[in-house]
Amino acid sequence: MKIVVGIKQVPETTNVKINEKTKNIDRRGISGVINQYDRHALEAAFEIKAKTGAEVIVMTMGPDDFVVSLQEALALGADSAVLLSDRAFAGADTLATGYVLSEAIQKIGDVDLVILGQQSVDADTGQMGPIVAEFLGISQVTYASKIDVDNESLHIKRYLETVEQDITAKLPVLLTVTDQANEPKYVNVVEIAKSFEKPVTTWHASDLNLDDDRVGQAGSPSVVRSISSPEAVVKDNHKLAENPQDAADELVKILKEKNILVEDK
Amino acid sequence: MELLKENWIFAEVDLNKVNPITYQLITKMNQISNLPVTVVLIEGASESLEDDIKEYGPDKIITIKNDQLSQGNDLEMTNALDTLIEKTGRPNSFVFAATVVGRSLAPRLQARLRTGLTADCLDLHFEDDDTLVQTKPSYGDNIMCEIVVPNHRPQMATVRSNVFEAKKFNNPMTKVINITNLKVISDQQLTIASKALPQKSAKSINEASRIVAIGRGDKTEENLINAKRLADKMHAVIGVTRPLTDLEEFDINDQIGQSGQSVSPEILVNLGISGAVQYTAGISNAKTIVSANTDKDAPIFKYSDYYFVGNAEEFSKALEKALQ
Repeated sequence: MKIVVGIKQVPETTNVKINEKTKNIDRRGISGVINQYDRHALEAAFEIKAKTGAEVIVMTMGPDDFVVSLQEALALGADSAVLLSDRAFAGADTLATGYVLSEAIQKIGDVDLVILGQQSVDADTGQMGPIVAEFLGISQVTYASKIDVDNESLHIKRYLETVEQDITAKLPVLLTVTDQANEPKYVNVVEIAKSFEKPVTTWHASDLNLDDDRVGQAGSPSVVRSISSPEAVVKDNHKLAENPQDAADELVKILKEKNILVEDK
Repeated sequence: MELLKENWIFAEVDLNKVNPITYQLITKMNQISNLPVTVVLIEGASESLEDDIKEYGPDKIITIKNDQLSQGNDLEMTNALDTLIEKTGRPNSFVFAATVVGRSLAPRLQARLRTGLTADCLDLHFEDDDTLVQTKPSYGDNIMCEIVVPNHRPQMATVRSNVFEAKKFNNPMTKVINITNLKVISDQQLTIASKALPQKSAKSINEASRIVAIGRGDKTEENLINAKRLADKMHAVIGVTRPLTDLEEFDINDQIGQSGQSVSPEILVNLGISGAVQYTAGISNAKTIVSANTDKDAPIFKYSDYYFVGNAEEFSKALEKALQ
């Protein structure tokens, strides 16, 4: 079985501000990490690998320094990594990004299972999975909360607001996973050392069979017209006393003064 | 491709019941749209959910009656909607609920139609009759974006629940069009069994005015008991972070955060919660936030009105005592 896991590198914090000059999000000084939901996607792939001996390929799209996240995924247990990096990919919305990812997955060939996180914590769209599934022409199960594998099929639990679904999916299929699906493991030192021997391939636009009109800004129907920071509610950040009882007494006094915690509620 | 001068809403049906977000979308669209508002409903052959939808007064309801599709999967649903759109022409806009169902189906249809889709919108309005201006949060609600899709139709969006109010509206012009013979390409890859989740009787955290939230740092049974005693004292409801949903007694309905519930209590007490993004995305509407954590650099303190650096359990006990 061949599994591709798509990951995204996101800012370490979502507490970002807008640069007044450029009117863009100011990411200076914020380092990148693997999107939390994608850690669950990786873990889902590793659990299937443990049971079936599947090959796990991790893939991301972004600038060359995103290789840090791929390296971490290799240290966590992926077998090889693909970086999709080209200036032509810049400014892509979900549709154009999904197109490039699906072409890269097709180039890998014979992929049985594609796994992504349910959404990214920065853009929050959750659209990449369904878009890639559509362009690959395969079935999809999104928001998988539990995944079991046997032979050539997967058993998945999925929750809608008031409905629980038990789904059996034959391969090939694309999954997106929630953070309920598993508990991601941490990197161990031995694996880090080994990971540097695993292959990392970079594909540029010219390595893929792409239609230029469908890539980057040109291939993106959505236009972000403006961005703004909503008025952040200012928090007092009042540090309470060091002794627990003093702190609790202090808090209760303040809350009562502010009429927040009236007893008879 | 022929264009249809209508704005469409996808009716979400969860196990033979219309999800109330559908009504919220109809009321909003009726307010902002100068073009006819059409609801697309997919239901079983013997159902008549269009009667419920009619009460909210859209201009048109297109009902696709099909037993196979009523519990269909995203690929089949996309096939059905795509076939419908081929017949009718592309609507000006097509909005979905930002639920699991909507956020799975809408992007698949988006890719099929190769158009733009904005996820999880908090507001919508039209400019020059046609252009749908979509306001969407990013970075865990820290940034708001205004997005338009100038050259592609339909302009697609998913819209967050409970942002708009549903109001019944008697529209004598509502037309119902039944489609019983839509050709559907089925998907044999998935077998789906659905059942209703048991309704929780306890007060839900979405509506709670006081919440005591516990995190991974507080997972032991004794700490749980302490937290519950504090919650009782405060007449508060217990909320949890994601790791605690591993315990039998908590599930996604008790979980606060991006993959759980958004809460808006008068007061929220965080015990042993560090404040990861996935959690803080769910608490931006809490009025007063109190947090206790041993780590003096815990990110949660930045979101807090009052914070205590130290053992959360000791603080919880002390607070309980202080409330005597």
